[in-house]
Amino acid sequence: MRRDVQNLSRFYLVVVVLLFLAMLSRLAYLQLFSWNKYFAESERNRVRDVILDSPRGLVLDRHGEVLVDNSPMYSVSVVPYEFLKSDTTVTLLASILNGVPADMKQKIKREKISNFTPVRLKRQIGFRALSGLEELRRELPGVFYNVDSRRIYPSGVKAPHLFGYMGEITQQELAGLTENTYQSGDLIGKSGIELTYEKYLRGRKGVKYVEVDVLGREIRDLADLPGRLPDAGKNTYMTIDANIQRFLEKRMADLRGAAVVLDPRNGDVLAILSKPDYDPEIFSNPLTPEIWNSLINNDGGPLYSRSTQSLFPPGSTYKLVLAAAGLETGLLDIHEKITCTGSYRLGRRPFACWKKGGHGEVTLLTAIQGSCNVYFYKKSLDIGLANWSKFSRLFGFGEKTGIDLPNESPGLVPDKAYFDMKYGVRGWTRGLLLNLAVGQGDLLTTPLQMACFTMAIGNEGTAFRPRLVSRIEDAKTGRIVSLDKKTVQIDGVSAQSYQLMKEGMHMVVNAVGGTGRAARVDGADVCGKTGTAQNPHGDSHAWFIGFAPKDNPEIALCIFVENGGGGGAVAAPIAGGVLRLYFSEKKMPVTAPK
Amino acid sequence: MLATNSSGRQLDTGLFLIVLLLIAIGLVSIFSATYISESQVTQTKFTKQLLWAVLGLFLMLATTTTPLRFFYKRAYIFYALSLALLLLSLFIGSGAGTRRWISIGPVSIQSAEIAKVCTLIALARYLSWDNRNLGNLKEVALAFMLAIVPFMLIMKQPDLGSALVFLAMALPMMHWAGLSTVTLFVLLAPLVSLICAFNYYSFFLAILLISVVLFLSRRGVIFFLSNFIINIGVGIVTPIMWDMLKEYQQNRILTFMGLVQDPHGLGYQVIQSKVAIGSGGFWGKGFLDGTQTHLRFLPEQHTDFIFCVIGEEFGFVGGFLVILLFFYLIFRGFSIASTVKSRFASFLVFGGSIIFLFQIFVNIGMTIGIMPVTGLPLPFLSYGGSSLLSNMIIIGLFLSAHRRRFAYL
Repeated sequence: MRRDVQNLSRFYLVVVVLLFLAMLSRLAYLQLFSWNKYFAESERNRVRDVILDSPRGLVLDRHGEVLVDNSPMYSVSVVPYEFLKSDTTVTLLASILNGVPADMKQKIKREKISNFTPVRLKRQIGFRALSGLEELRRELPGVFYNVDSRRIYPSGVKAPHLFGYMGEITQQELAGLTENTYQSGDLIGKSGIELTYEKYLRGRKGVKYVEVDVLGREIRDLADLPGRLPDAGKNTYMTIDANIQRFLEKRMADLRGAAVVLDPRNGDVLAILSKPDYDPEIFSNPLTPEIWNSLINNDGGPLYSRSTQSLFPPGSTYKLVLAAAGLETGLLDIHEKITCTGSYRLGRRPFACWKKGGHGEVTLLTAIQGSCNVYFYKKSLDIGLANWSKFSRLFGFGEKTGIDLPNESPGLVPDKAYFDMKYGVRGWTRGLLLNLAVGQGDLLTTPLQMACFTMAIGNEGTAFRPRLVSRIEDAKTGRIVSLDKKTVQIDGVSAQSYQLMKEGMHMVVNAVGGTGRAARVDGADVCGKTGTAQNPHGDSHAWFIGFAPKDNPEIALCIFVENGGGGGAVAAPIAGGVLRLYFSEKKMPVTAPK
Repeated sequence: MLATNSSGRQLDTGLFLIVLLLIAIGLVSIFSATYISESQVTQTKFTKQLLWAVLGLFLMLATTTTPLRFFYKRAYIFYALSLALLLLSLFIGSGAGTRRWISIGPVSIQSAEIAKVCTLIALARYLSWDNRNLGNLKEVALAFMLAIVPFMLIMKQPDLGSALVFLAMALPMMHWAGLSTVTLFVLLAPLVSLICAFNYYSFFLAILLISVVLFLSRRGVIFFLSNFIINIGVGIVTPIMWDMLKEYQQNRILTFMGLVQDPHGLGYQVIQSKVAIGSGGFWGKGFLDGTQTHLRFLPEQHTDFIFCVIGEEFGFVGGFLVILLFFYLIFRGFSIASTVKSRFASFLVFGGSIIFLFQIFVNIGMTIGIMPVTGLPLPFLSYGGSSLLSNMIIIGLFLSAHRRRFAYL
């Protein structure tokens, strides 16, 4: 027995030593060799990064009036670990927020960073939901609300196509980013200048480190980890003149159309609008399917910017291009007289002038003044398609102006290759050229292109890329950076030719018998050109382009009214209103509101 | 020696001091685990445990001064009473979804802890009989029954961890009593078959291994065949038994085997417990500075997961010290068991040491992720009066055995 016990005792002692060595080596492995990993994990457990959103930059007009501002709103966030523990919590919150539990779970799954990092579940909750949350707080572990901001438009300027809107970043957008600036659920500019100036407007997010317990409750701010305050987004000074913009929005409220007003001295866009539009604030609120459907199903196409995206033949305003082509190529003599009988016959096909009885005997200037079609029909045959296409391109048609808005259309300038392609090499006649000469047919332009063309004429060849933002202000330091204007020099048209074109345009507005007299402003020396583009589907489109004063112009514009009727009757008076406003404002300079 | 009484009987001072030290470490850890904030020092758990410890000290010293003969004589009475208590707790017991606790006024008693001590004494008495012959199958079966009955009753509560203690002490004690290693193997083999029965390949390997050992033992064809059939039978019955287990018990086993990934459930406990211990590093984060502990990332940190608090706040140094103290405790137990003259005392101390070894290894192993999560307290450290008192009584038996190590009962 004695010996047995000794042996057994030794055996068991070996077992004990082995077991204790197992524990010790495991302890050493955890605490000595894997300390880094586990310490980091315990820090992740207790430290939560609270992202501090940066207030988005303001958008102001050229005089400093705030066009786009921020307003607080409540959002609901949840801590996934705590929130998803019980289905009743999810169901309860869904009922408060009018949501579907399964959708909420899916959103959390998609967007969560960790089990303890809050996911923003819904933005902009109403007061009813907010009070519901407050009341049932105890039954909603892991749910809290915080203050976010949304865009508001205090100036009364709507211009949704200009400002654009914000939306939650999509998974594709997120995947395309190289920098780690955004997180799932963040808002990002989706269109308009919210999109083009996103990188200035967004600012830089801050971060706060807080200690949390297992329930995700914040225990305290961590003093040894100071975090970083957010930098507000930069304030963006637009070139827009809120008064002109507001005037036009009101004046064209019931019309379909577009207007672009430029400062020809630098390409500043003083006003740009497209009607019909919508209140941009609907994108600041939760977008319901009803609102969305009403936007996309509206025949007026309010989502679509007529000033930069939609394409129309520009009608008689485009006669100036042919005039320039004729003058520069020497194929047009300003003294040549042509008799307009109200119609022109090419082969067996008659081409009508808008004036039934005809203009009688006209020269270049009177043909511009009275917008005689026959004159330009005839001259187009002399000048030819090749020259017409060449000068159209010279003035920037058929390509984007480069304005700082997304999704601009380039328009279309047909040429021989285009027609050969469309109709076959022998499938088309010179009759198509006659249509192009008066700004009809396959030619397509945007109102913005027409305004830029007008600026080029007014400046006699020196144009500028249209721009919407001229200054960026750092809200913290107050430092303002001015953006350079971009010159677009048009080479190939002489000063004399411009002088003649301007003279003709001056007569359009000021001479007796001019088609654009409605745009006349005393003392402003307005030059312009009307256009009435025939439309096989309905009423004609009314156009007016113009600038003032004749020498060293300060304002250039294009007014377009879809199915509006005659350019002189419908578009020119609107232009007149803008010009009158501009020159009266100039006498009493607007002081920037503080 | 430090404490020598009139009759020259010595107190095992080392063992005594080590137990006191362990209890002190336990109190400190419980204080930290249940600490809320400086302004809110309502340390009711700490105070309670302190009271239990004082009571335990009296009980331990009382046991120390009681001759073991006292327990020998009443071994079966104690045993019967403890079984009655286990039965009683099945009827009037309480505890979240279980029937582990019997409430008497303001205190709750965990009947399994009392049964643990009583079964130890009963087994020690049964096995220490001079003419005990464990070559006799009937006697082996009877000894086994002594452990199986409380095991079954506790499984009914249900409390898997506490129940396993009874099996864990019974087999080595029988081994200690002279049960041949082959018999021990034969008894353990079905357990191996059971664990391996969930997979065809592992089961095949287990049966193969068992067959080889049985063959080499040269005990004849009948011995070989009967054992072979038993092990095959276990493999068939196990999946059926599995379905009868409670879901949480199944989950515990599955999570331990890495078959279930559930970071919010049991897996979560193991992850957070490893994070707590691992993040402690060499020196630990300091008393009351354990973030895992104080931000409540650890479940049941003052009871079953108390070792995490030590690991996190006192680091490797603290954990090493605790393990070292435990090692010394068991080492002392073994050396007392192999030196005492009384067979009864030898069994008592050896069995007690095995109980401690099992609980320590299973509990610490669970917190460091090498054993499954079974609700078993860490001796002397975990919060809980019944556990502390029963363990201190066992130490009292050790000390008593040591004092009378030259007596033949």
